[in-house]
Amino acid sequence: MTLLEGRGLSKRFGGVTALDQVSFSVEEGTIVALIGPNGAGKTTLFNLVAGALKPDAGQILFAGEEITGLTANVTCRRGLARTFQVTRPFATMTCLENVAVAVVNSPRSRANGTWRLSAHECLKAVGLGDLAHIEARHLNVVQKKRLEIARALATRPKLLMLDEVLGGLNTQEIGQAVDFIRSLRDEHHLTVFWIEHVMGAIMQAAEKIIVLDQGRRLMEGSPEEVVKDSRVIQAYLGD
Amino acid sequence: MTDRRFFVILFVAVGLLSLLPLGLGVYHLHVMIVSLFYVMMASSWNLLAGYTGQVSFAHAAFAGIGAYTSGILAAKFGLNPWIGVFIGTILAALIGLGMGILCLRMGGIYLSLTTLGFSEILRIVITNEYEITRGTMGLQVPGLVADYSKPAYFYIMLGGAMLTLIVLYKLIYSDIGLNFRAVQNDERAAASLGVDVVRMRVLAFTVSSALAGMAGGLYGHYLLLITPEIPSLDQQFLVLSMTVIGGMGSFLGPIIGAISLEIFSEYIRAYGEYHVLVFGLVALVVARFAPNGLMGLAEHRLRGRRKASRTVSAAAG
Amino acid sequence: MFALAGMNGLVIGAIYALAALGVSLVVGIMNVINFAHGELYILAGYFSYLFANAFGMNFALAMTLAVALVFLFGLLIEYTLIRPTYGNDMYSLILTFILSIVLQNAYLLIFGPYPNKPPNWVGGSTLILGSFYYGNQRLAALIAGSAVITLVFLVIKKTWFGRIIRATSQDREMAELNGVNTKRLNMLSFGLGCALAAAAGVILAPIFPVTPTAGVPVALTAFVVVVLGGMGSLWGCVIGGLIIGLVENFGAAYISTAYKQVFSFIILILVLLSRPSGLFGRREA
Ligand SMILES: Nc1ncnc2c1ncn2[C@@H]1O[C@H](COP(=O)(O)OP(=O)(O)OP(=O)(O)O)[C@@H](O)[C@H]1O
Ligand SMILES: [Mg+2]
Repeated sequence: MTLLEGRGLSKRFGGVTALDQVSFSVEEGTIVALIGPNGAGKTTLFNLVAGALKPDAGQILFAGEEITGLTANVTCRRGLARTFQVTRPFATMTCLENVAVAVVNSPRSRANGTWRLSAHECLKAVGLGDLAHIEARHLNVVQKKRLEIARALATRPKLLMLDEVLGGLNTQEIGQAVDFIRSLRDEHHLTVFWIEHVMGAIMQAAEKIIVLDQGRRLMEGSPEEVVKDSRVIQAYLGD
Repeated sequence: MTDRRFFVILFVAVGLLSLLPLGLGVYHLHVMIVSLFYVMMASSWNLLAGYTGQVSFAHAAFAGIGAYTSGILAAKFGLNPWIGVFIGTILAALIGLGMGILCLRMGGIYLSLTTLGFSEILRIVITNEYEITRGTMGLQVPGLVADYSKPAYFYIMLGGAMLTLIVLYKLIYSDIGLNFRAVQNDERAAASLGVDVVRMRVLAFTVSSALAGMAGGLYGHYLLLITPEIPSLDQQFLVLSMTVIGGMGSFLGPIIGAISLEIFSEYIRAYGEYHVLVFGLVALVVARFAPNGLMGLAEHRLRGRRKASRTVSAAAG
Repeated sequence: MFALAGMNGLVIGAIYALAALGVSLVVGIMNVINFAHGELYILAGYFSYLFANAFGMNFALAMTLAVALVFLFGLLIEYTLIRPTYGNDMYSLILTFILSIVLQNAYLLIFGPYPNKPPNWVGGSTLILGSFYYGNQRLAALIAGSAVITLVFLVIKKTWFGRIIRATSQDREMAELNGVNTKRLNMLSFGLGCALAAAAGVILAPIFPVTPTAGVPVALTAFVVVVLGGMGSLWGCVIGGLIIGLVENFGAAYISTAYKQVFSFIILILVLLSRPSGLFGRREA
């Protein structure tokens, strides 16, 4: 079943066309990767879906309902969580408080137990359990990315949208991260929509890859199909 | 801070302060009463600036709304001043709500601009509607108690300050307070986690304005003469300076700032009306070099010392 | 009466536009509102009064010097107060507000509460459209105001500096990536914003003598003009300034002089209600 669907999405910034008539779909329970060269429009696509920006044209459907133009807090309450490529921690709040913000606003996670417990679980899940009472501004880049994931998880989403969360990790850590994201999908029945430059991780984890180039959807297919496609190779290598 | 600790500290402090009328003369008691008015004003302004990152320049204006509403109802219509203060508080809340909804969709700068304009307009209306407000002459109003006595007003203002602080504490240390701080830190991130940013800002502005209205209402019935001085920009500036110097975003900061600056300004009043200028320069330096005010500095020193002692013990062990 | 109010509206409107241009320029580039804008406007008035009356300078020289000094003062403000808190909009609001009160009280201490008036540039009056006499000083102010506005537009539309300004107010990050020194640009545009306030001040001071707090209503009106025109839009300032100038003067002529200021506040509320991004505002979410 399709969980998320975009139809003919376009977005312009002044003279720059960041997205041009892009259509795509993300099936429930899968890990779908979104790749493309720098400036291809990947983050912009996330911003449109999450309601951080309004599309100039096109429609977005989530769980069968139209969510085009809804604001970010509403899409979040519907079950859509995203991380930011350039992390945006609440700098003067502790890690636990950062996550707690997500918990107290989620209509789904309030039901069971007090929020502190649940927030702590999310921190532990990403390996920040020991830093719960440290203010977020003291974290390093990798830890900030983990905090982004913990907060997103704490909203108890149906769809988790990750924007380049592997930056700064070594090969072994990347492997662990991939396992972790897979386990989220398997154990918590999440659907993952994932922007990443680390191709190795994508090849391992994704069932489907969508390729963007200069604001257009270049192709979409299985990892094997994508790496063999000459257009993709050219988009990355040629210029 | 846990709830219990807060209430213990609050009640001990209030208990100690209650003894003041036994020892203080009329003048010093007056200074304490004015200080308590500023504690209410600065603490409630801090809710807005310190916890949600929005700047209202109409906080004194809302005190004026409270004071004039209650004063006019009592002086012209013979309404019981206590009911008047209540109505003034509600009116301040409603105006705050309306203005908040109007501006805050567009962001904080619009609130600052509109509140500044509102202050100025209120001043113009009050000075021009002489028939109702007695303009710059001031409106004489009845007191809150039958026999005017400083100790009685001291206890009333102490009660008002206590109520204000409890409301603020309950709000700041609740889920809503968490949302306020998230909005202040990063509104886009807050929205992405489900926080209704506009609603949080409007809520903070409404509560803060209502508390200013209440403070103004009580204060007006203490002064017995309500003048456009209450809602003036100079007054607004004093409240802002007290908060900034005491420490924005800390619960204790505005309380300390209000009391110390009011006492200080009484002290330098003897040397002429320079206190606004002096405050201004001090506030400018503090806001520039110690943006978290006295509380920020204190915390910094404390933390430094704690860290030092930790290294010492680590070295010893 | 109708024509007179219209004429007054044009003169005041041009000056409002000028003051608003200064605000808009700074908002567009730095996203900072200078709440001491009105006090800088007054400062220029005091300077020109001082140079012309006390030092006996030629009025044009006195005015130029006044604007130059306020420009330098603006650079200093940017360097000492705005730059260190850059990116934290709240602190720049608070700092400039404190600065405005400090300046008001400093003026009060130095110049006293009484109005001070620099000399008129020209005397006499002219018959307008054969129907009423209008003071030449006011006409001169209209011409001077329009000339400065035209100059600002030429600089922004035609010069290299203007291109950088436009690029930066469009997209700050892109400008930075393309090697624009935004630090220096901030300083310069803040100074320029202050200089525009000063220009409005020296032009209007002979007509409306300066007092320590006379800057407050002018700055407030300039802010309303900026919201009405659309934050960061230059044409918005000109059109908005003229609209507010005319509304105020017709309102004063036909409804109430005392409530002149209130009309622009009502306009502000109406704009926020119906078209919050202003007449020429960008409507980006
Ligand atoms: N808020 C914005 N304002 C103006 N232009 C923007 C904005 N956001 C993105 N752009 C432009 O849109 C284009 C697409 O940017 P986007 O961030 O979506 O790319 P991306 O695929 O995420 O790239 P990267 O791999 O570098 O993260 C770029 O040209 C960028 O400069
Ligand atoms: Mg990106």
